[in-house]
Amino acid sequence: MLRRKRRDTGGIPTASMSDVAFLLLVFFLSTTKFDIKKGLGIVLPVASQEATKKVKLKEENITKVWIDKEGQITVISGGIDEQVPMGELEKKIRKIVSQNPDMVISLKTDRKSKYQYMVMALDRLQAAGAEKISLSTN
Amino acid sequence: MAKIKKATKPKTLIPTASMSDIAFLLLLFFMVSTVFVREKGIRVSMPKAASIEKIPRTHAATIYVNRSGTISIDDFIVSIPDVKWVMQKKLAEDFNLLACFRTDKDTSYGIMSDILNQLREANALRVYFEAKLKR
Repeated sequence: MLRRKRRDTGGIPTASMSDVAFLLLVFFLSTTKFDIKKGLGIVLPVASQEATKKVKLKEENITKVWIDKEGQITVISGGIDEQVPMGELEKKIRKIVSQNPDMVISLKTDRKSKYQYMVMALDRLQAAGAEKISLSTN
Repeated sequence: MAKIKKATKPKTLIPTASMSDIAFLLLLFFMVSTVFVREKGIRVSMPKAASIEKIPRTHAATIYVNRSGTISIDDFIVSIPDVKWVMQKKLAEDFNLLACFRTDKDTSYGIMSDILNQLREANALRVYFEAKLKR
């Protein structure tokens, strides 16, 4: 009697298919990075002919924040010059703004100063709740 | 002796055969819906700030400025005097335009001041300085 040859039935194991799929899913979920733009906002003044006539502000309503080329900050308020480190700028401005809500903060940056110092100072000013900020340079 | 019939417990089974189908469906959905945002501007390393807000992407025109002072607006290298008319053209296309600066942190402020003056002349007054979140 001839013995029948047993045929191997070829099969792909599908039990771990879901594991593979979930692994891929988790990989894509965790590596996807959303590129969201974030930054500090400011509205510039108009540059029309009428606007170039200087708007007169009372001296007591202006606080000048001067950043020199080394990034050192001087706050000039009410005729008093005071050197303020970056870490204490927020506290200082918060105090000034709370005393006079109409205070205009004039942020003057040296042309040779790094952009980073200006952004850091602007960030501190906005964090301190200053709403009227003007940018200028020498 | 009376025979007590055992109550047959109903077997609860969750069908797992279609689990992989669900997973692949989710996978395909994420793969298809992911949009890679690729900006070709110039390489800059942005400054860090804490009190930053989200900028609406739809109205933003990105101005790249690197540390050597090269200015690029939407893949075009421009010089400082050209910023005005480029931005005027953009403002004509989109009234709610936002000028969005991606400036290298080591750029000198003089260039930025000149660009800001150009923006004022072009009447593009809403400006954002892009920064990374400081942790």
